[in-house]
Amino acid sequence: MRRVLTYALVAIAAMLTASSAFAHNSFAMFDQSKTVTIQGTVKDFRWTNPHVFIQLLVKNEDGTEDEWSIEMTSPEHLVRVGWKPGTLKPGDKITLNIHPMHDGVKGGQYLSGIGPDGQPLIGTPTPSQGQAK
Amino acid sequence: MIRPRLALVAAIFLCCAGTLGAQTRMPDWSGQWEIVGATPNASGGMVQSLDEVLKTMQWGPPNNPGTQAIVAEFQGIIRKRLEAIRSGTDPGGASGPTCTFGFPMVMLDSPLMFEALPTPKETVLIFSGREVRHVYTDGRQHTPKDELWATPWGDSIGHWEGQTLVMDTIAVKSPFSGIPPGRIPVIAIGARLEQEVITFLSPEAQFIERIHMRDKDHLEDQMTVIDPASLTAPWHLSRTYQRVAHLHRMVYEDCEGEDRNPVVNGHYTIVPPPSHTLGSTPAPINAPAGQPTAPN
Repeated sequence: MRRVLTYALVAIAAMLTASSAFAHNSFAMFDQSKTVTIQGTVKDFRWTNPHVFIQLLVKNEDGTEDEWSIEMTSPEHLVRVGWKPGTLKPGDKITLNIHPMHDGVKGGQYLSGIGPDGQPLIGTPTPSQGQAK
Repeated sequence: MIRPRLALVAAIFLCCAGTLGAQTRMPDWSGQWEIVGATPNASGGMVQSLDEVLKTMQWGPPNNPGTQAIVAEFQGIIRKRLEAIRSGTDPGGASGPTCTFGFPMVMLDSPLMFEALPTPKETVLIFSGREVRHVYTDGRQHTPKDELWATPWGDSIGHWEGQTLVMDTIAVKSPFSGIPPGRIPVIAIGARLEQEVITFLSPEAQFIERIHMRDKDHLEDQMTVIDPASLTAPWHLSRTYQRVAHLHRMVYEDCEGEDRNPVVNGHYTIVPPPSHTLGSTPAPINAPAGQPTAPN
């Protein structure tokens, strides 16, 4: 069981250890220095605590397919910016910008995205806003 | 015959008028509130830069030399740990069983929302991490010293000055470990990784807050920290809370969720939840509790 808070608190979490509200999911596994864009089909939108996951099927150049696990923040945070359990559905074709995993696992931290309707996903900053992270 | 009736009517009137009067004096703070600038985005990051946070908080603790030394020493420890995280010798982060921020952080720099329920005798602040502040406004004094011990939320009493609730909190104890013993951390957190500043108060710190509705969509908390053991003068802080825009009910953080970020070979990784989650295929009711499930 881990805490739910945000990667923005990682450095504080590094100081304030066990039994701390700041002691949460580390997010240290994501390479914050890299942003990659992946396109694929939603296999599942897992609306669950402590963090929500997008399971995305991504086709490789050789025709094979990988399942990526994209970690978001908590449901409590997501509903406050307008997300719902049904915002994404299996079969949706979407594009996501993520911080990839350090260890090469097919996964990453959600940053922003384009939904199946071609519009930015909820909370995706407009170019003038920059990347809010 | 008439007199007893009049007396009864008068008694009912006075009783109801008193009750209604008390109720109408209470401001309507219904709804959910979040700290302006400490709201999370979809990836979990904060939306305000550290500079903006410091400006809105009116950050500027008048630390005395002892506190300055404590902060400097702590920052050195932080730097070493961050270097260890970067070099891969420390996985970074940690685990914990609670959503506890404690006071004053729940009011100053928490990404969690809250409800505020004023009544004549008590105002209750309920946070989405399931922390609760009870502020007694029935005229009582602080809990006597021989009955008082420090907790993460302290001992709060208050009174109303018009539509402003004046709160007085003492006996605060940090819920965090890994900090200088007995100290109460106050942290300002910005949007980017490693954008934080911190200071520490003594266990004797007293917090006076004046909270009022600035307009229909904003509450404002003016906080004064009185702590001669760590500060050279009272420290004035401010935070504004805005109505949560997309939600009209309390949704709790579930800190009891399963671990999706275990440490494997000394490094954190991710383990997505099974598909049987809210918004997906419902879990069977007779599913064995606590049984680990492999991701699909």
